[in-house]
Amino acid sequence: MSTTLNTAPARRLPVPPRPRGVRSLVTMAGVLAVVVGLHVVAVRETQFSLPELVKGWHGIWSFLFGDVRTAGALPPDLHWKIVGPALGQVVVTFSMGLLGTTLSIPFALLLALLGSRMTSKNIVVYQLARGLMSFFRAIPSFIWGLIYVTAVGLGAFPGVLAIITHNMGVMGKLWSEAMEETDQGPVEALRSAGASAAQTATHVVLPSVIRQFTSLFLYRVDVNVRDSLTLGIVGAGGIGFYITQAIQEFQFNVMMTYVLMVLVMVIALDLLSAWLRGRVGQ
Amino acid sequence: MTSLTTSPALSVRGLTKRFGDRVVLEGFDLDVNAGEVVSILGANGSGKSTSLRCISGLTKFDGGSVSVAGRNVRSGEHVPEFAMVFQKIYLVPQLTVLENVCAGALGRLSFRQAWAPNAFPADVREEAMGCLDRVGLAQRAHDRAGRLSGGQQQRVAVARALCQRAGVLLADEPVSALDPAAAEQVMRLLRSLADDDGIAVAGVLHQPDLARRHADRIVGLTGGRITLDTAPSALTDADVDALYAPDYAIEGGLA
Repeated sequence: MSTTLNTAPARRLPVPPRPRGVRSLVTMAGVLAVVVGLHVVAVRETQFSLPELVKGWHGIWSFLFGDVRTAGALPPDLHWKIVGPALGQVVVTFSMGLLGTTLSIPFALLLALLGSRMTSKNIVVYQLARGLMSFFRAIPSFIWGLIYVTAVGLGAFPGVLAIITHNMGVMGKLWSEAMEETDQGPVEALRSAGASAAQTATHVVLPSVIRQFTSLFLYRVDVNVRDSLTLGIVGAGGIGFYITQAIQEFQFNVMMTYVLMVLVMVIALDLLSAWLRGRVGQ
Repeated sequence: MTSLTTSPALSVRGLTKRFGDRVVLEGFDLDVNAGEVVSILGANGSGKSTSLRCISGLTKFDGGSVSVAGRNVRSGEHVPEFAMVFQKIYLVPQLTVLENVCAGALGRLSFRQAWAPNAFPADVREEAMGCLDRVGLAQRAHDRAGRLSGGQQQRVAVARALCQRAGVLLADEPVSALDPAAAEQVMRLLRSLADDDGIAVAGVLHQPDLARRHADRIVGLTGGRITLDTAPSALTDADVDALYAPDYAIEGGLA
């Protein structure tokens, strides 16, 4: 005897209308109007214009391929007397980014610990730390660079100082956010065992976030090396300074060589940083 | 051995806790003797977890008294005699098993004595090994806690409580997240801590059959007070249904 399976479909019922008020539609329309309006203002204020770009084609042409008074960017000048000295400057740029990030660790850690609700119970200290982090973060590293160049003179040293100052604000904030996302449970467990706030910070919070800290640090090295390029432009040494000089002397083919070297370094660093972050994340 | 003059390991009288207007505990009384396992049953929101949190000092209570071996404990005070074990276990998964167990000793160590997980003094580390051996996990000391199974992690949490040298173990749904075999093993461990080490165990359980098999006494909570206090053998299905009636009312649907 064969078994008869019940494969009959279930009874059909009308789907009740999803409760969605008129208000949400009005809100959506309002948000859309504001966003469009802001963009209209932005286009007007920046005088954004495609026709202007097309009209300027011969400027772009002479930049790329040269004219009577300048060497064009293409082909780049790959002569060793250009590439050789620039290699040293690429190392300077990388060193500024790396050293600036590393030396900002103690300051970032202190600000993060004081500016995270997980580890900072005093509201005054907490707000002060968050305010300081906002301040260091809000001022871009090249402005810090201008300030330090004025203070200690041209060179890579003011560049390192600039990156330390900006990065302790950024990394402090990223680290404090990583800490705020840690599980409160183990903190509570140790608190019930009589551990102090400082003990729960070093025995729960920091061990929980050490991987994220490392990963965020590697990401910041990557970003800060690129930042140290722009620092070169304000006189803080490195390959960025060479790029500015080449542009000022209309040697676009030399500039292009430097840009390509930067490109290689940035891609290499990006790959290395992503690979390391992948390994840390496991 | 126990005479009428000795105090219970844990004694709670008239415990009251309000969250705003909502009264969670009202006139909650509980005694647990050394070497006794008491299981607390009750519907969701009946105040089971809150009672344990008030006793351990994680939550401040509004009235009543808590005492350990006859000594009064203030509201919100963490005394080393009370150790808490949680449903979600709450180990630090990135640290080793041994480091997690050592952390139970933090209450009696200064910051300088143990400023980092790998900086515990040798005597604490050796004591922690003893605690790990007690729960049968000494060979996993250097594994990362997150790599252990749920049941093993809960046993590590119990070892952490032992390293705290707690005489009273407060277990908040210690086996709710575990499979039946692991739950059975953890319950046997709690039972043997009471029998062999004289530890007082008060545990919130959701499985009446586990309570029947492992507890010396079962207390039932309804509306923030103890409404049932009985030997496991005397617990009837009608008792259990009455305790969990509020849950059936809320869940609705098929009934």
